[in-house]
Amino acid sequence: MLQKGAAKKVTIYVNEDTQHHIGPLYEAILTFLLHKGVSGATATRAMAGFGAHHVVHTAKVELLAEHLPVRIEFIESAEKVDSLLPTLYDMVTDGVIEVQDTQVVKAANKDRKPEPAVPHEEKRGTARLMRIYMGESDQWEGQPLYEAIVQRFRLMDIAGATVYRGILGYGVKGHTHKSGRLPFSRDLPIMISVVDSEEKLNKAIEEIESMMQDALIVLSDVEMIRLIRPTPGVAGA
Amino acid sequence: MRDSRPARLLRLHFGESDQYRGKPLYEAIVDRCKQLGIAGATVFRGLEGYGETADIHRRRLLKRDQPVVVNIVDTPESIERLLPELEAMMSTGMIAASDVQAIRLQKPADPRD
Repeated sequence: MLQKGAAKKVTIYVNEDTQHHIGPLYEAILTFLLHKGVSGATATRAMAGFGAHHVVHTAKVELLAEHLPVRIEFIESAEKVDSLLPTLYDMVTDGVIEVQDTQVVKAANKDRKPEPAVPHEEKRGTARLMRIYMGESDQWEGQPLYEAIVQRFRLMDIAGATVYRGILGYGVKGHTHKSGRLPFSRDLPIMISVVDSEEKLNKAIEEIESMMQDALIVLSDVEMIRLIRPTPGVAGA
Repeated sequence: MRDSRPARLLRLHFGESDQYRGKPLYEAIVDRCKQLGIAGATVFRGLEGYGETADIHRRRLLKRDQPVVVNIVDTPESIERLLPELEAMMSTGMIAASDVQAIRLQKPADPRD
């Protein structure tokens, strides 16, 4: 399973009709990647292109459509790519292999099989609790501010955030937040509570500072007990 | 503009049906905080809970008595000033206080204003 963070992206350009043993080369490459446990690879047939032979291949002209370029792409960790490259180098008898640094932002797998029940692990330690107070009607780029903040925290891998809606309050914006008679005209107080390490919270504050007009952030030291279900294959999660 | 300073956070726990002089206690407390010039107070309603009286606070068909928590943040001095007032108003319930660091985020005033 692909992990979030630094990774390598490999792009291989071959001709559709280049052969490898008995089948097309791109099929052989895909089969090889599949056997090696690469998390995913995509082969795309190009519309047109030209390569080292300087002949334009295009689907428009039937005669030239036989040599259309095929691009195979996959993303893997640097170590995995290093282990695959020698074989790929041998296989690609006619074509180009390109490797570039990339960043995996999200690697989600919807239909991952449910993991067998494992006793959860308990993690204790000191952490910091942050409470952010704002109004429910506060917006950021057309979206409720609290939603935008929680999304930002998720992207930053902050351990967790919970949004609470108050029933009454005053403070940051100087007026009393109270639920109006119409359900859509209310501006109730909102509090987001977040627990993580001090460094991460400092980063989080920097990140959200520019998003907020008026807000109060309250930080305190807490004792944290986390119950974690170990995810197989994720070291030190 | 960032302004960070030590502060104190109070959490008052009681029931939604608690009254003070004919109005909900949480409303009375928020009003009192405003009168005393306390920086801010926020009331949250819990789903279910129990406390000192060992009665389970939950939403019933006709009577609403869910747990209520009031968060109040201000300087340690202001909180000291507020505490006796709160103690006088609350007949049952719990007050928890903790030392915190408060950061006030404020956009610099618009020069056009």
